[in-house]
Amino acid sequence: MAMATRILLRELDTPNIHKMDVYMKNDGYEGLKKAIGMKPAEVIDEVKASNLRGRGGAGFPTGVKWSFIPQTEPVKYVVVNADESETGTFKDRQIMENNPHQLIEGAMIAAWAIQATAVYIYLRGEYWDVAAGLDKCIAEAEKKGFVGKNVLKSGWDCPMYTHLGAGAYICGEESALLESLEGKLGQPRVRPPFPAQKGGGLYAEPTVVNNVETLANVPWIMVNGAAEYKKFGTEQSPGTKVFCLSGHVKKPGNYEAPLGSLTLRQLIFDEEYGGGVPGDKKVKAVLPSGGSGPIIPATDEALDMPLTYEDMQKLGTILGSASIIVMDEDTDIAWVAAKVTKFFKHESCGKCTPCREGTYWLDKVLDRIMADQARESDIDLIANIAKNMQGVTLCALGDFAANPIIHTVKNFPDDFKRHVGETAVTAGGSARRGAAAPAGD
Amino acid sequence: MPNTVKIYIDDKEYEVPAGKNLVDVAKFYADNDIPVFCYHPKMNPVGMCRMCLVEMGSIEKDRATGEVVLDPAGKPKIRWFPKLQTACTTTVSDGLVIRTGTSQVEEARENVVEFLLTSHPLDCPICDKGGECPLQNLTMAYGPGTSRMNFEDKIDLDKHVPLGDLIYLDEERCIQCARCIRFQDEVVGDPVLAFHERGRSLQIITVSEPGFDSYFSGNTTDICPVGALTTEDFRFGARPWELTNIPSIDPWDAAGSNITLCVRLERDFGGKAAIKRVMPRQNELVNEIWISDKARWGHHFTRAEDRLQHPVVAGHNVTWPNALTVASDKIKAAGSDVAAIAGPQMSNEDLWSLRQLLAGVGSERLGAWPPTHAGADLLAQVGVGSGTNLGTLGKGDAVLVIGSDLEEEVPIWRLRVKRAHDHGAYLVVANARPTRLDQFGDECMQYGVGEAAEFMAELVKTPVGKQLAEAENLVIIAGAEGMTLDGSRALMQAAANFLISTGHVGKANNGLLSTLPGANGMGLHYMGFTPETTLDITQNPPKVLIIAQADVMADDPDAQEWLSRVETIITFGLFPDGASERAAVSLPIQSFAERDGTFTNGERRVQRFYTAQGPMGEALPAWQAVQRLGAVLGQGQAKPSAAAVMLEITQNVPGWEGCRFSQLAKVEKQFPDVGGHDLYYGGTAYKNFGGLGVQIASAAEQGKVSEGKVTSPKAAKAKILALPVTRLYNRERVLRASEADVLGPRIAQPFVEINSADAKKLGIKTGDTVDVKMGSAPALRARAHVDGIAPVGTVVVPRHLSDTAAPLAPAAVEISKVEG
Amino acid sequence: MLADKYADRIETAFAKYPTKRSAVMPLLYIAQEEYGWLSPEAIEEVASLCDLDPTQVRSIAGFYTMYRERPKGKYWLQVCTDLACALKGADEFYEQLLEELGLDHENDTTEDGTFTVEHVMCLGACDRAPMLQCNFHFDPKYDRLDMEKARKLIEEWRSEAKKK
Ligand SMILES: Cc1cc2nc3c(=O)[nH]c(=O)nc-3n(C[C@H](O)[C@H](O)[C@H](O)COP(=O)(O)O)c2cc1C
Ligand code: SF4
Ligand code: FES
Repeated sequence: MAMATRILLRELDTPNIHKMDVYMKNDGYEGLKKAIGMKPAEVIDEVKASNLRGRGGAGFPTGVKWSFIPQTEPVKYVVVNADESETGTFKDRQIMENNPHQLIEGAMIAAWAIQATAVYIYLRGEYWDVAAGLDKCIAEAEKKGFVGKNVLKSGWDCPMYTHLGAGAYICGEESALLESLEGKLGQPRVRPPFPAQKGGGLYAEPTVVNNVETLANVPWIMVNGAAEYKKFGTEQSPGTKVFCLSGHVKKPGNYEAPLGSLTLRQLIFDEEYGGGVPGDKKVKAVLPSGGSGPIIPATDEALDMPLTYEDMQKLGTILGSASIIVMDEDTDIAWVAAKVTKFFKHESCGKCTPCREGTYWLDKVLDRIMADQARESDIDLIANIAKNMQGVTLCALGDFAANPIIHTVKNFPDDFKRHVGETAVTAGGSARRGAAAPAGD
Repeated sequence: MPNTVKIYIDDKEYEVPAGKNLVDVAKFYADNDIPVFCYHPKMNPVGMCRMCLVEMGSIEKDRATGEVVLDPAGKPKIRWFPKLQTACTTTVSDGLVIRTGTSQVEEARENVVEFLLTSHPLDCPICDKGGECPLQNLTMAYGPGTSRMNFEDKIDLDKHVPLGDLIYLDEERCIQCARCIRFQDEVVGDPVLAFHERGRSLQIITVSEPGFDSYFSGNTTDICPVGALTTEDFRFGARPWELTNIPSIDPWDAAGSNITLCVRLERDFGGKAAIKRVMPRQNELVNEIWISDKARWGHHFTRAEDRLQHPVVAGHNVTWPNALTVASDKIKAAGSDVAAIAGPQMSNEDLWSLRQLLAGVGSERLGAWPPTHAGADLLAQVGVGSGTNLGTLGKGDAVLVIGSDLEEEVPIWRLRVKRAHDHGAYLVVANARPTRLDQFGDECMQYGVGEAAEFMAELVKTPVGKQLAEAENLVIIAGAEGMTLDGSRALMQAAANFLISTGHVGKANNGLLSTLPGANGMGLHYMGFTPETTLDITQNPPKVLIIAQADVMADDPDAQEWLSRVETIITFGLFPDGASERAAVSLPIQSFAERDGTFTNGERRVQRFYTAQGPMGEALPAWQAVQRLGAVLGQGQAKPSAAAVMLEITQNVPGWEGCRFSQLAKVEKQFPDVGGHDLYYGGTAYKNFGGLGVQIASAAEQGKVSEGKVTSPKAAKAKILALPVTRLYNRERVLRASEADVLGPRIAQPFVEINSADAKKLGIKTGDTVDVKMGSAPALRARAHVDGIAPVGTVVVPRHLSDTAAPLAPAAVEISKVEG
Repeated sequence: MLADKYADRIETAFAKYPTKRSAVMPLLYIAQEEYGWLSPEAIEEVASLCDLDPTQVRSIAGFYTMYRERPKGKYWLQVCTDLACALKGADEFYEQLLEELGLDHENDTTEDGTFTVEHVMCLGACDRAPMLQCNFHFDPKYDRLDMEKARKLIEEWRSEAKKK
């Protein structure tokens, strides 16, 4: 079962891989050297051939994304999405803390592939220490000629900078991220033009935005080739993936494994992964993609489904960023819905009417439900509000905010019914996970 | 139609211009009001409110052949987007298909309205916008009948947040469409409004000093699609449905902005109609849909209690016949030694009548006031071509603004020049000192005081001049700041020469403009009044001088001297002033709001204004008062109407043939259609039902014009030169009445700007009180403002801030610090 | 004045971007560090450095939750109470922490100005819940918390604060 080769969490196999010398001794920056020996278009073709899919959530093929960049434009950017703010996601942090050079190298390969003018790493503001660490690594890489002026004597200049956000989940959405990087409110842009197009990217220049984990895969692909990479994972989901496991498991943490090589059951219960549920309780539900993806009941079918992009779809949910939150049998799913709604209400940027007003309204009704003050019709009401928020907003946050309601009400109706009408228990009576979330925002 | 595309709206085909916004196109060509809140046709779409969702697709074409793919039924196959799309963010393209009436679309609209109403206070009965509110209208049209939101769940916010002294924000009513923010940022270029916080907590804020500091702030209340922004002036003033909308023209400057006077019968005004508010009226060629705050709030002077309401002879109120007899006796006694000076607030009809009066006694001495800007004759020759629309200038075009502080002199032009710049026009700003327009200039150049004409003449040899010369279209806006009248003429001639020699005359979007003071500077020219004659009159005073709507004493420190050499003064005016006090006869006339007539704007567009407000006392329209005087002098009966006077003008003044009132009143549908009685754009007064006006052709359009000689006057030599400049808000007699009302707080206390180097020599610091003394005239006392901006050797003196007149043109002065 | 005191850091920030505006976020952090919070004067200063209208800068400060527009304590404790942490009892931990310091949801800063306690959304350390961040710094000492651990930390900070 155990993975001999880890691509991303390499510190587990090679201690101190975060240090330049250790990294260099272990194929470090070989991928970049190889890339710079190739034509940019060839690099893109190789990444395309690997069928690497974006790890930021949407799973878009990375090579294809790079190929959208018009080569004729003189100014172009690579922006690394290190905003990692989805509830239950903490993989990018680990990569940047423990294997930073691999991200830097991957970003530089992407930059070479599109002949970028500069690379910006946009980190969520809370990753203050991570950014400081990265800054040091970038400086080292610059000294070695991997970053900055005349990269590896190719005549190509490409500096790399970190930029700290300041507490806004929405800045993980790529166009909001670009706005934020330009010193504006982090509100998503109208598309088209898309970031890859002139007029749509950073400072209106064509821009590739990739997740940290996505780019950290790239050096390996360059060194070992697309064909080798595809040996991991499935046809549609090649490569390895870091699974962020949290919630009711004995050993929460990041676990890397080839896509499709693990089922949810293995991830939650196997000793080398989650090690089971505290108190050896049953699993009631799983959120495979953080707060924003559809929740699923922990049926045998679900637990035995391999973790891939395509298989999760069969269950009516998504793999997304693979932020797997486990909930045991005592969890009140209505409370989960209320909790996640608070998150989205707090994080809605406010630009689109349905998202701005809908999250506020949902939160109000859910407060009522959690206080056992609601009517039975309130359950239909939240389901309907959520439905009306779907598919009508500028960015996916509107849909993300609708998901927790739609899928909790659909899959766990009894958890809501317990709070309303005749059967309502007394307010706040549903034990620790039923306690109303802190008020305010 | 060149450059058109075929689109399909609700299964009907339309051929429409390419590159336009879908919402605008649907409305204009298909009469289909796609509902919007955040979209505004004058600003970039942001797709925020989600009200404009439609089903959208495109006709499928074979990639290889380009042929339209047909479905089994033989109809073009349509590839639909899986989700609804926002119409407002869509530019029309060939084969675009939309459906707006389907149940899916209707449901989406209902949902958006429901979402908006969840946090709306629904206080329509006490809301200024009630009755002309897009939210109200769209709720009626598309909204749900009842609310599913518990009332106690509504958010409680502040309802009376002053954004400065002029605009109030009701946070509960705001629907976060960002129109006001985007207006200040995109249209004005003064981003003094912004959102604060996020999500449902998003609110409008400003921290500028003074609050919401902008000359255009009032426009935000028009484009606000709810009653969240209201004006201090109109708040709770009236309900929109009680108002009658009368078309009018902004009386303040050369732009000639089309406005609407919204009037209501007022008990406090003797039951007569009174202006309750002033709104913009759409004229795409002139002001689009924007007006300055001065146009919006400067109307209070028309009802000021100290208006002149009766004819006055020797300090006593008399009847009109009495007054006219006295005046006519004086004129008769003078023979032909009669002259007239008229201000630029006089209508074309007034000026024509005055000219006829003088002609009747054999005089042609017609002076234009103030005698600051020369070259109106050159504007008649090479002014911007017919059909010019500053709003369409963009890439490849160029604008030069020289010798003017445009934002202070003609704010709407400043707004439109900024937009031209945004759209890619090359903007060059040149002056003897920096101005606020500099922030938008691609090139900001400075020349020595008094050297504007030389600068202009030399410009052609520079790279900047070359770029201007090579522009596809070129407009030069010339002011007269820091110039004598001769200097102004020299600059105008040099600018005209530049335009002629580079082929930028005689066609639309090319030619010369000048910041002539007042609303009818060009009318003065066409009716024969010139500033040169004015100077001649001041030097060789006539026996009888008629002064019409010109506050000569407040404008010219020398006026007292030259007036003292006139035997008899006859004034026509709105207010008692320095000249009327010295007049043998002082006759009360009506403001633009009380009568009808026409002004000719800086682009030579003759535009009608209509009677809106009840009259003050016995004041008459100036043309009528003048013609009655003519009748007493035996010059024939007064004409029955302003229209009849204009008819006479059309028969006598070359180029004016097409300006009969009926012609001037013509309107046609304008694109984008923002003014209709539609459901959403708001500001019912946008609709233009008063006429788009008629532009008089320039000489260059009719034939050849040739360059003229530039005679630059010698630059004045002085230790310290006073540089008079114009401020939008000042204490001019006419504005002063509004001071007590809304604009008061915005009028600066008297100040002068002194260069830091000069100030050091003179021992003056910012905040010191100084006297600026010129010749024998009384000193102008003001606060010193020491900066690095005033040109060395000058003191910048804003006109009309102090009771003492600033010089008309740059003049040697002495400055002294007032101790204590 | 920030411009003098932090000249180097400001210059570094400006050097990163092609527009001055992009430096507004780094500069706001500097201002917050210097003044403890973003007072109107601090906003004014950042605005003039970035050639922005103060209104625009205030807008940025208001949008992002890590900028604070009212004074805060020396130790700014942010407790994650988001779903993954809450499943591990973070809500209760947050309430207890408030109680310990005599605070509540509205009054989040101790009277002596030593502590500010806020609950925040996911901090990307869900595997170490409950956890908090102090003055934006995360330390292994601050994870898998309970009140016993927390009291120790508070003690440490208190005595550190006294020393300063
Ligand atoms: C509301 C929202 C939040 C997002 N947050 C993140 C994030 O924190 N990190 C991330 O990499 N992608 C995030 N994304 C996805 C990005 O928009 C984008 O798809 C991704 O950065 C692309 O990178 P990839 O192709 O490497 O996956 C978010 C998207 C949305 C709509
Ligand atoms: S869906 Fe929500 S978060 Fe996304 S742009 Fe719209 S308002 Fe902002
Ligand atoms: S989203 Fe199109 S009008 Fe608001």
